[in-house]
Amino acid sequence: MRPKWAVLSWCVYLLLCYLPFAQAQSTLVEINQMQIERNDSGVFFSANLKFELPSLVEDALHKGIPMFFVAEIEVLRDRWYWSDKAVASQARYMRLAYQPLTRRWRLNVGPTPMGNSGLGVVLNQNFESLADALANMQRFSRWRIADTADIDFDGKSHAEFSFRLDVSQLPRPFQIGAMGQSDWSLSGSRNLRVISDAAK
Amino acid sequence: MSPSPADAPVPTYRTFSNPRALRWAWVVGAVVVMAIGLILLLLLTQSTNNREMYERNYARLFAVNVVVAGVLLAVITWMAVRLWIRLRRGKFGSRLLVKLATIFALVGLMPGLLIYVVSYQFVSRSIESWFDVKVETALDAGVNLGRATLDILANNLADKARNASGQLSGVPDAAAGLTLEHIRDQLDVSDVMLWSSSGQLIASVGQSRFLLNPERPSPQLLRNVRTQRAVAAIEGLDDVAPMLGTELPVAHIKALALVASKGVGSLAEPRFLQIVQRLPSPLVTNAMAVQTANREYQERALARNGLKRMYIGTLTLSLFLAVFGAVLLAVLLGNQLARPLLLLAEGVRQVAAGDLTPKAVWQGRDELGGLTRSFADMTQQLHDARSAVDQSMSQVNAARANLQTILDNLTSGVIVLDAAGTIQSSNPGATRILRVPLAALEGKALAEVEGMSEFAQGVHAQFSAFLSEQIHHGLDHWQQSFELNATQSPFSHDAITLVARGAELPGSNRLLVFDDISEIVSAQRAQAWGEVARRLAHEIKNPLTPIQLSAERLEMKLLGKVGEPEQALLKKSVKTIVDQVDAMKRLVNEFRDYARLPAADLKPLDLNLLVQDVLQLYEHDTATVHVVAQLEGGCPMILGDAEQLRQVIHNLLQNAQDATEAARQPGTAPSVILRTQWAAAAQRVRLVVLDQGTGFPEHILKRAFEPYVTTKSRGTGLGLAVVKKIADEHGARIDLSNRIASGVVEGAQVSLSFAIHLKVAT
Repeated sequence: MRPKWAVLSWCVYLLLCYLPFAQAQSTLVEINQMQIERNDSGVFFSANLKFELPSLVEDALHKGIPMFFVAEIEVLRDRWYWSDKAVASQARYMRLAYQPLTRRWRLNVGPTPMGNSGLGVVLNQNFESLADALANMQRFSRWRIADTADIDFDGKSHAEFSFRLDVSQLPRPFQIGAMGQSDWSLSGSRNLRVISDAAK
Repeated sequence: MSPSPADAPVPTYRTFSNPRALRWAWVVGAVVVMAIGLILLLLLTQSTNNREMYERNYARLFAVNVVVAGVLLAVITWMAVRLWIRLRRGKFGSRLLVKLATIFALVGLMPGLLIYVVSYQFVSRSIESWFDVKVETALDAGVNLGRATLDILANNLADKARNASGQLSGVPDAAAGLTLEHIRDQLDVSDVMLWSSSGQLIASVGQSRFLLNPERPSPQLLRNVRTQRAVAAIEGLDDVAPMLGTELPVAHIKALALVASKGVGSLAEPRFLQIVQRLPSPLVTNAMAVQTANREYQERALARNGLKRMYIGTLTLSLFLAVFGAVLLAVLLGNQLARPLLLLAEGVRQVAAGDLTPKAVWQGRDELGGLTRSFADMTQQLHDARSAVDQSMSQVNAARANLQTILDNLTSGVIVLDAAGTIQSSNPGATRILRVPLAALEGKALAEVEGMSEFAQGVHAQFSAFLSEQIHHGLDHWQQSFELNATQSPFSHDAITLVARGAELPGSNRLLVFDDISEIVSAQRAQAWGEVARRLAHEIKNPLTPIQLSAERLEMKLLGKVGEPEQALLKKSVKTIVDQVDAMKRLVNEFRDYARLPAADLKPLDLNLLVQDVLQLYEHDTATVHVVAQLEGGCPMILGDAEQLRQVIHNLLQNAQDATEAARQPGTAPSVILRTQWAAAAQRVRLVVLDQGTGFPEHILKRAFEPYVTTKSRGTGLGLAVVKKIADEHGARIDLSNRIASGVVEGAQVSLSFAIHLKVAT
């Protein structure tokens, strides 16, 4: 039956179009100088990121469309008998927007996801240029991720850090268009074993 | 013990209901799946319109729809594969099903495709039409206009600040407040502040005076101011509130100018004048509106492809769902339509193969259902007709078997001949009567059978005459008697006298029925002969006594009166006359006895007693041959006529004595043995008479029982004939044989075995 083959091929085509399996070709985020320290006031995370915004994202930013980024860190305790136990986890949500009226860049940083409606408890920063804003975003310095008591620095824990462009907070048609397109994906992650300074 | 509902229903019901239930399950399942698909599709289409509500779930809905479509596709594929396999195997009805399904699927597919194509064009065109270069340019221009306006305002304020900073150049920090107040009034701004180079607030007027911790300018900004003398920035134009629940800050322009110090050495730290002017709210609102519109426009323009994909994906998916649903329904409906036809065709095939069992009926009110019902009725009628035929056939067969049994057990002979005289069939009676194995001779002409040629000729002549006369006289049969193997002796057992009757059978066959009347004829003959003998004896016997008496009287009167020679002659003659008369008398008596022999009066009697009774007569006999009785005790009673049996014993003893005496060697004393025996195995009592005579010659032995056959010089030859007759009357078997010891005939033996009297019969 010929029509059936046509139907089948159509179906396959559709699946190919909509399945997000092209994400492996995304723009990678380089994570440098990642370290975890502790002192009496808590456990701190520091890292330097290095990435270039994809051209489509930059275009969209210049047209005044805000972009959202997420940085997540999770400290996991090794468990041989089960999947590793999450000891601590923190997330940092960032919103980067350009104001064509004032020609200034604005970065909002907060611990919760932010939409267009409200930002919650956030830190607002204005920048004259995109480079300034990006430089600010790319630097993580002494981010407190847990209490000292929560994490043992005995080498049996590891930290999972990831940074990505959060497409899910974009308007929906955007997401559908963005799905499976490498232009719209920006992510990177790195794993680090948590060892005390003394052991280093 | 009540049957639970789970008990198996009647098998016939099950065979009808099961596919039906299955079919219903199918239909319901298909309808449910399609309903889910439709609802999902509806949600999907809604979601493209109502962004806020469905944006989040669009992908999920889409996935579910894809899954449903996949399930439908799988089902259809499975069905197609099954259908194909059936088609390959040449399973009955699959072609029809394929045809119906294809037709229905096309009917479902075509409109769907048409709508899809139209919608596709419509969606892609309409989405493109939303975006217009003019609109984009206008929005861009609006944003630029706002920006330019704000820039002008900012530059203006920066200039003002620069100018105002001159007024402060010589003013010490302590007195700055007054000057600031003056500047505020002069420039008509909301706040005026003076900052030290290290970022310390020196003085301030306006609203910000009441703030505990006013926002201080960043060192970066201060550096810029040092180089450019005056900088203005617009703040508070945020589109989102920094804190949930707080109001948007009032938009304002902040201008910062360097205040030149008056000292020559200018060792004193530079100070900064900050002027804050509120922006007019209509301007801010309009600018923000333009900015927001621009952003949303840009957003949509960027998301155009995604939007298009969303719509078209929804459309395509709906097409798939509709098409799959249509195909599924097509197959199901085709099945529904084809099923009664298949049922019918299957029934036709069964009937053609001769299976007339009740046929399944399609429960439906439509014509197809009616067709299957009519077919089932027809088959039933056919079945009834056939069973009726079978029944009548079996009846006919039974009648035939009946007739055959009657024919087989008929004493008359029946032969069916064809026109040429060929034997078509015969019954055992015919074989028995004609003493010819007629059953083996079927198909042969009767004339060819050995010894039957005369009979066949006679029959043929009779038939010819009958057939020619039948028209004139209307007779339905002929009758004629025949004599086969005719010999001179009336007592010959080979001679057969037949009464034959012929009739015409349908189909030019001829029926020949005949009876053996030999015995009747011979009985009639014997009776007639007996009658003659009796009369003759009577007529002859009457003059014998006067003859004898006359002769004796003649002798008595003439004795002594005639001469010696004459007297001797007289004596001899008289003796001859008397002897001959005696012999004649005895002969006549025997004739009479034989002829007069009455029918036996059978009564229970003890043979031994009878024998003893008879032997009393022989005890004082002066005969040279004695009779020796050897009687076995315990013999049961037999059925017999005492008088006749007495005569039998007399005859046999007489014969035995005569034979023994004739063969007697001088000096010996032979005897006759009379013996009775009880044969329990055969349930018979035997009477045996043994003599020591010469025995029977070979030619006599075969015919000993015929009258006038005798070995004796004087005898009528009727003795054994009478014995035989009486034995026949008694149903006793009579055997005649020679006693042979080591090859020498020692004498003869006659044995009679009588049936015993059964007590049950009395």
